[in-house]
Amino acid sequence: MDRYRVQSPLGRATGLGSAKGGFTHWWVERVTAVALGPLTVWFAASLIAHTNGDYQTLIVWLSAPVTTVLMILLLFALFWHMALGLQVVVDDYVHTEAKIWMLLAIRFACVTLATVGIMAMLYIAFGREPHL
Amino acid sequence: MKRLSSTHARPLSPNIQIYRPQLTSVLSIANRISGVALGLCAIALVVWLAAAANGPETYSRYQKILGSWPGQILLLAATFSFFLHLSGGIRHLVWDTVRGFELREIYISGWIVIIISILLTFATWLLSQMIGKGV
Amino acid sequence: MKTDAFIIASSDQVPRRTLFKRFPIPRNFGVSSSSRIERGKTWPAATSLTRVKTFEIYRYDPDSNRNPRLDRFEVDLDTCGPMVLDALIWIKNHVDPTLTFRRSCREGVCGSCAMNIDGGNWLACTRFIEETQAPARIYPLANMKIIKDLVPDLTHVLAQYEMIEPWLQTKTPAPERERLQTPEDRAALDGYYECILCFCCTSGCPSHWWNGDRFLGPAALLQAWRWLTDSRDEATGERLDNLEDPFRLYRCHTILNCTRTCPKGLNPGKAIAEIKKVIAERQS
Repeated sequence: MDRYRVQSPLGRATGLGSAKGGFTHWWVERVTAVALGPLTVWFAASLIAHTNGDYQTLIVWLSAPVTTVLMILLLFALFWHMALGLQVVVDDYVHTEAKIWMLLAIRFACVTLATVGIMAMLYIAFGREPHL
Repeated sequence: MKRLSSTHARPLSPNIQIYRPQLTSVLSIANRISGVALGLCAIALVVWLAAAANGPETYSRYQKILGSWPGQILLLAATFSFFLHLSGGIRHLVWDTVRGFELREIYISGWIVIIISILLTFATWLLSQMIGKGV
Repeated sequence: MKTDAFIIASSDQVPRRTLFKRFPIPRNFGVSSSSRIERGKTWPAATSLTRVKTFEIYRYDPDSNRNPRLDRFEVDLDTCGPMVLDALIWIKNHVDPTLTFRRSCREGVCGSCAMNIDGGNWLACTRFIEETQAPARIYPLANMKIIKDLVPDLTHVLAQYEMIEPWLQTKTPAPERERLQTPEDRAALDGYYECILCFCCTSGCPSHWWNGDRFLGPAALLQAWRWLTDSRDEATGERLDNLEDPFRLYRCHTILNCTRTCPKGLNPGKAIAEIKKVIAERQS
């Protein structure tokens, strides 16, 4: 993305002009953050409370409808926030052509991981064991 | 023949090599590093859920890894990252309402973030130890 | 335990204790070969002097075709004024007349002598020598192309300032006398109009270090807010359109090095947060 041209300082500073956007990314990052606050605290507290539990106790808790709903919301908000946050990190530090591939990879990975997580929750909730 | 000074490109003055680490920049990069660390934890979380869905044998294999001492150290680091990113995130959300921008407030809230993260990490570790031993 | 060691209440405070003088990275991390700093000359003072202070100063001579270097000067404090700028002038008068730096008002209002002193950007004329470390480390403003010694090339950051159109834009024709403002309207400019464009803040912003070609930086953005909040201005929408860009504005991650380092005590971080807030407000 490195283009050397003979430009005036103002021309070089202007670049390709304003994208007239960028608010949505900033806003959704904050909306997901606010959602993640209580969701992660609930999840962390539940994990600690189940420290001594065995597998059956865990499954009973995970398959409860409230837990399933909250877990799916957590996975949704978590991977959305993660995709946005990592996009900002890549935008900050990567300025080569590899940037677009990294951004795609991050987005695809987050969607895939969220899907796997939600699927696992559904398997547990409906009491089916996946056959691998 | 006199060499033109333009043959030597103008050097760039040092930036991160000499700039003082301050509470402002250190907490900011810590928030970013803890965020990326939590991203790795998110992957671990999905693997944990998949293991739980797969059955008790897969799950107990996963729990053994977590229970080993490297696993416990990673879990402690993950807990600290979580509380650091959570309290740092709340500090950021307060800033987004355009509050707390006086230098004194910036420094006080910064130290609170650090202290709270350490305290909550320690409290979590203590609590899980107590519950684990059946107190 | 004095709290000012931990709580900085105003930007002119020099930290009393330093855990880390630099980030724990290799000394020449990411530095191009032509910017690498070599060892320079030492200019000792006479041994009969009692109050001597050592200054390590970044030097670069564009006519020599050599890399920048770090020179050590010993200054006789008994014949030198109290400020770092006084020391630089003393060195230029008594030791090395080729030492080059910008200066003008010597009272902290023109912004010419902005440079990096002991790892933080500040004006040389308002930094007391007794507040500096031993030895005092004088570098030019961070992340700037250097013309000579401590003189940075401000062309790009000034172009970024020009880009935000720092003048009143109106469609309503000019009235007979002045355009009216209430005292509250005028108070909205306080804390923003006082900027002297020294660029200490922009030069200290890590986001500007990594993305300075596209990110406007705290100085330009503070001035952008100064015009956005001016009740007489009628181009607010166009100004916000110009700013709302993932790089021009949203590379700011509220790192707040800018507010920490402003030699006039201004708050660029807050100005940028205000801009983000009005962009959010106009969406709903």
